[in-house]
Amino acid sequence: MGQLIISVGREFGSGGRVIAEALAERFGIPIYDRHLITEVADRTGLTPEEIEKYNENPKKKIISRRVRGYSNSIEDNIAEMQFRFLKEKSDSGESFVVVGRCSETKLKSNPALVSVFVLADMEAKVKRIMEVYELSEDDAMEFIRKKDKKRKRYHNYHCSGHWGDSRLYDLCINSSCLGIEKTVDYLENYIRARTDI
Amino acid sequence: MAAAQIFAVVIFVAMFVLIVMDKIERHYVTLGSGILSLIVVFGICMRNGEAVWNILALKGFATKDFWYQVTETESKGINWATIVFIAGMMIMVEGMAKAGFFRWLCMKIAFMVKCKTIPVFVTFMIMSAVLSMFIDSITVIMFLAAVTVELSQLLKFNPVPMILSEIFCANLGGSATMCGDPPNIIVGTSLGYSFGDFLTNTGLIAGICLIVSIIFFYIVFKKELVSDNDKEIDISKLPKPSEAITNKRDFIVSSIIFGCAVILLVTHSVTHLTVATIGTFIAAVTLIAFAKDAVGLLKKTDYKTLVFFIGLFIVVGGLEETGILEIIADFIEKISGGDAKLMIVIILWVSAVASAFVDNIPFAATMVPVIQSLAETSGIALPTLAWTLSIGTDIGGSATPIGASANVVGTSVAAKNGYPIGWGKYCKKLAPATVIVLAISTVYIFMRYL
Repeated sequence: MGQLIISVGREFGSGGRVIAEALAERFGIPIYDRHLITEVADRTGLTPEEIEKYNENPKKKIISRRVRGYSNSIEDNIAEMQFRFLKEKSDSGESFVVVGRCSETKLKSNPALVSVFVLADMEAKVKRIMEVYELSEDDAMEFIRKKDKKRKRYHNYHCSGHWGDSRLYDLCINSSCLGIEKTVDYLENYIRARTDI
Repeated sequence: MAAAQIFAVVIFVAMFVLIVMDKIERHYVTLGSGILSLIVVFGICMRNGEAVWNILALKGFATKDFWYQVTETESKGINWATIVFIAGMMIMVEGMAKAGFFRWLCMKIAFMVKCKTIPVFVTFMIMSAVLSMFIDSITVIMFLAAVTVELSQLLKFNPVPMILSEIFCANLGGSATMCGDPPNIIVGTSLGYSFGDFLTNTGLIAGICLIVSIIFFYIVFKKELVSDNDKEIDISKLPKPSEAITNKRDFIVSSIIFGCAVILLVTHSVTHLTVATIGTFIAAVTLIAFAKDAVGLLKKTDYKTLVFFIGLFIVVGGLEETGILEIIADFIEKISGGDAKLMIVIILWVSAVASAFVDNIPFAATMVPVIQSLAETSGIALPTLAWTLSIGTDIGGSATPIGASANVVGTSVAAKNGYPIGWGKYCKKLAPATVIVLAISTVYIFMRYL
């Protein structure tokens, strides 16, 4: 099997991470999401909790400064470590699924990349978040808004393209239309058709 | 307030806000603001073509004073001497880095003290201060912090205290000389002061403060630095300093060029060669010596910083020409009631607090005409205000992780190697050190100059 990198961008509550995990299982390749935190933690000596604290977070502009490519922002440095790690994995020829981390842009130069953005109707996202996090409807909606705002700021700071902009991905799919399982089937077929795997 | 004044202030404030927001690269911000100042302030509002030429200051290149200066002269508009000097030093430093000079020096000093943690801690602080007297603190910290992390992994100690101390001493060392920190180059070239003038004034303050700082950091970091393995270090297993040298010939040549730069700077009040001449000479010699890699060295030069300076000087020129800086000077004089001591305290501490949060280069460039005006009206000697401004802007920047370039680079190198330094961790130790050093400087300035 040749190299295959599946990048899954996602709205919070769309089931993007579950879809990514299912795709990793179907193609028999590793997934880098939470695992990416552990890998970076192993390399740097930081604890996973420390990395989690700054993971996929936009930097706090007012208390950050950048000089000749160096930044005092811990968020920036953690992000760059993750980008570097993904680039190394990509350059080594390894196949993997990666969730978020601007991977659709950072790994764009690799022809083995298939990039997907998973979105969903607000109703479906709220329902899902209420179940997973045991929240009221209002709290779930607020949580989704906050998370997506954060992801958007993180993405748009590190990339020139806009988060969720269809022009940035090979395929954008609304998981509410087919449901999680059928969305995975659809994506599997699409990826197999694209890559002959 | 006239339209020109309003636009000059609006452009300046917008420039500062955009620099802080960091959305657009800062050299585009200052250059854009500079062009806007030329068009709106000088062109549309003032309709003064001569002022535009004065701000661009291009005719300065053709004057003898720009290259060879017997008497002290003050410059206005774009401070080309600063830009030419910084460009020259950048090219020299690139040559030195390529040859492995900095890494070799760090490893050599570590080996000289047998890689014992506390002696390495103390010698690296001194080295950081001394190197920063001649080389930009970004380069110094870039190499020093990287070697510190490497040594910490081999010798099993926490590199954070050492990196923090190195950052502080780099900023302190930079305040000691005319070429150590960009605000000093701006102050020196704008007011016509020499390397020796700085060394015997801010240099002495920095020297005293360095001793105090070493003692302070030793006391606060001693516990964190004690390594259990100190007694068992087998330095034969560590990478040798000579391994850092990438090319022996380049190493020798770059060391000689650096030595020449130091001699030329130390003696420039005797030789009357200006810093612009020294910068040009050093750059030319480096490019000739590294002829094969000359294009690569030029490409690596941080042109963005040079463009940043050009735009900045134009914007500040707008404030100066429209009389805004005089208004600020009058305001300082008013609130101090003409009291010299109070004026010194205001300049030193306001410069320090401002530099702790915003880039100290625009601040210093803005304040130079202000202190000139203050000296004329208040009767306080201009050099006293100049040393006060230099110390305030150079040292104040140490207080926070964003106050100076060295802080950003040092904390970034630490974070990239798994040692994130947040605001809390940084300020807990370095903010008190900054306050102590500023207090000593205030007392010193009172005793010596007033």
